[in-house]
Amino acid sequence: MNLEKVVFGFFVLLAATLNFGFFIGDIANPALHNIYELFAAVVVSLIATVLKFGDRTQIGAVHLATSLVADLQLIAAALAWTYAAHISTEGLTPSAMASVVSLSGGALFANVVSVVLLVVETVSYHRR
Amino acid sequence: MGNPLLSFWWRLFGQDEQRTGRLRRRIPMASAVQASATIFLILRRMRVPLIILITIFAVSVLGLTLVPGRTAEGLAYRMSFFDAFYFMSYTASTIGFGELPYTFTDAQRLWVTATIYLTVIGWAYAIGSLLALVQDRAFRQALALQHFTRKVSRLREPFLLIVGYGRTGELLGRSFDALGRRFVVIDSESERIDGLDLDPYHADVPGLVADARDPGHLGVAGLGNPHCEAVLALTNDDEANLAVTMTAALLRPDLPVIARTVSTLIAERMHAFGTPTVVNPFDRFGDHLRIALRAPATYQLITWLESGPGAELPPRARPPAEGRWVVCGYGRLGREIVEDLQAEGLDVTIIDPVADRPAAAEEEATLVSGHGFEPAVLEGAGVAEAVGFVAGTDNDTSNLSLIAAARRVNPALFVAARQNRPSSGPLFAVMDVDSLLVPTEVVAHEVFAQLSTPLLWRFLKEVPHRGDPWAAELVDRMTELCSRHLESLWKIRLTHDEAPALTTWLAGGDARLGDLLRDPDVREVRLDVVVLMILRDDECLMTPDDDTVLATRDELLLAGRPAARRALDTTLVVDGALQYVVTGRHVPASWIWRRLSREQG
Repeated sequence: MNLEKVVFGFFVLLAATLNFGFFIGDIANPALHNIYELFAAVVVSLIATVLKFGDRTQIGAVHLATSLVADLQLIAAALAWTYAAHISTEGLTPSAMASVVSLSGGALFANVVSVVLLVVETVSYHRR
Repeated sequence: MGNPLLSFWWRLFGQDEQRTGRLRRRIPMASAVQASATIFLILRRMRVPLIILITIFAVSVLGLTLVPGRTAEGLAYRMSFFDAFYFMSYTASTIGFGELPYTFTDAQRLWVTATIYLTVIGWAYAIGSLLALVQDRAFRQALALQHFTRKVSRLREPFLLIVGYGRTGELLGRSFDALGRRFVVIDSESERIDGLDLDPYHADVPGLVADARDPGHLGVAGLGNPHCEAVLALTNDDEANLAVTMTAALLRPDLPVIARTVSTLIAERMHAFGTPTVVNPFDRFGDHLRIALRAPATYQLITWLESGPGAELPPRARPPAEGRWVVCGYGRLGREIVEDLQAEGLDVTIIDPVADRPAAAEEEATLVSGHGFEPAVLEGAGVAEAVGFVAGTDNDTSNLSLIAAARRVNPALFVAARQNRPSSGPLFAVMDVDSLLVPTEVVAHEVFAQLSTPLLWRFLKEVPHRGDPWAAELVDRMTELCSRHLESLWKIRLTHDEAPALTTWLAGGDARLGDLLRDPDVREVRLDVVVLMILRDDECLMTPDDDTVLATRDELLLAGRPAARRALDTTLVVDGALQYVVTGRHVPASWIWRRLSREQG
């Protein structure tokens, strides 16, 4: 067992699950999307990105790319939330919440790709 | 060949692409991969500090949103993520705007106290690691290598690859830079490469600190680049020069290689790989001495032309062609000189503290063992009756004292000496030696003559066959027309591309050289240029006179002032100027005036 692989797999999967947890539910209903979950998703996604630094393989490069996409989407979602909750006069309207959640949905897709890559890597490793 | 446009395109670019592609694949560029590997390693090392920083921030922000606070009106309140992140950002970076948006409760202050210490440690760790990595030697080398690789691969004009940037490399670099040629430098010593930035070059010179024996380093330095013109192996280390010669000959057989060595054995080994030009300064000095013995003016002309633009005319040394020579130091230089002197039929006495008996071929040379600066030894060698003296040891101090000792015994001696270190130059200059060997300069001049213009090399090869009076006359003509400093040498090709105005005139069959060399402003005045040689179908016409008939595709090697060069360029390109210098008539340049003048005439 390789501890590095365990940590890596843990963070990649955790980023995906947290992202999924925030995303699921009625897209426009703020009550169904916990902001702490979004925060956790951003932090874990950032850590996963750093973990992917310095991998020279082709699959490592794609890993890094998907992670960067997820970061971008999640940070955009966090910014959208900040705008709605703090700057906009209307507050957290259903439409604002919908844009936050849909942005995190994009990140979820990138995270799913990351998980698929992880699985592919693992399976091909076993075949060798 | 279905699509004619495609096949045309392929003809234009396809072959070329294929050729360069093959070159790239074959030349190893291992060190570039190493460089990127180092950068990946650095990124990996930044993982831990970055993750710790992210974690500390996340924990601090999360805690701040959970700790209960109170608004100004005393209502229960919790910070949102936005407020918490804002607060942590300015606290962690030690800006500290105060307690926003409301004054903190004690619970919040407790948590903030803990986070202040945490974030300071996190930042210090992250920034400290980053700075340490930037200082890291391997990292800096990797960056330098990448920078160098990028610069070399972006070179889009012909360049020379100079391996070894010692005294020779520096001299050559200056001469080639003055000619507007580009070059790339590899040297194993970092001070020399740092010195590149201080040298006042016109063009940017990429330099790399690397061991040239590694083919990967040569690959990075542009051995695989299609614009590489030639490889010059000029290090002090014969072994390294051999390795460079081998690498270049095996990986790029089409490239000319010029290698320096002082050992005939290494020279033999170099010749086993392709056809490198091997320059042995000692051998060359011996050859020059022979030429000087036979034809002083020829020797003067050759050394002058080899010295490059701006060089002053060297004095015409007259070594005694009869009598006995004394050679001090029987090392590699001594052997070459003794061989050459004996081939000229001169008696030679050798002085050396440790030399064995001379080789079988040199039996007739007498050997005196001992140090040349001891009066008894000098007397034993018969310096008083000798005509020539060579101070050829590898120690400058010995050489200087040898010269002084020999001159005291016999002031009329012709003295040849070897200067090993550039710093001894002023001392040898004061000693007023008749013939001075500076090995680095011999190599530099030789390489310069070969690479500056191919015609010059051809010309220098022909010079010794033309006899001394011819050379003396040419030197006189050149000093009369130009000055005692060598003006620029250049070549022109009488082709449609380089001399478009001349096409019909040359085809006429009565194109005299003398007409071409008239001043396009006042045709009665002859331009201050000397035509050294005309190369026609691989045949050399040395110093052609004014009645020589020129033909298309002739190549001319000229020497003269820059103003004369510009004037000649005008004649080559402008139709009207050519008409004027040939016939003396002013031909109107514009179409309408030409029509008018034709109708008048």
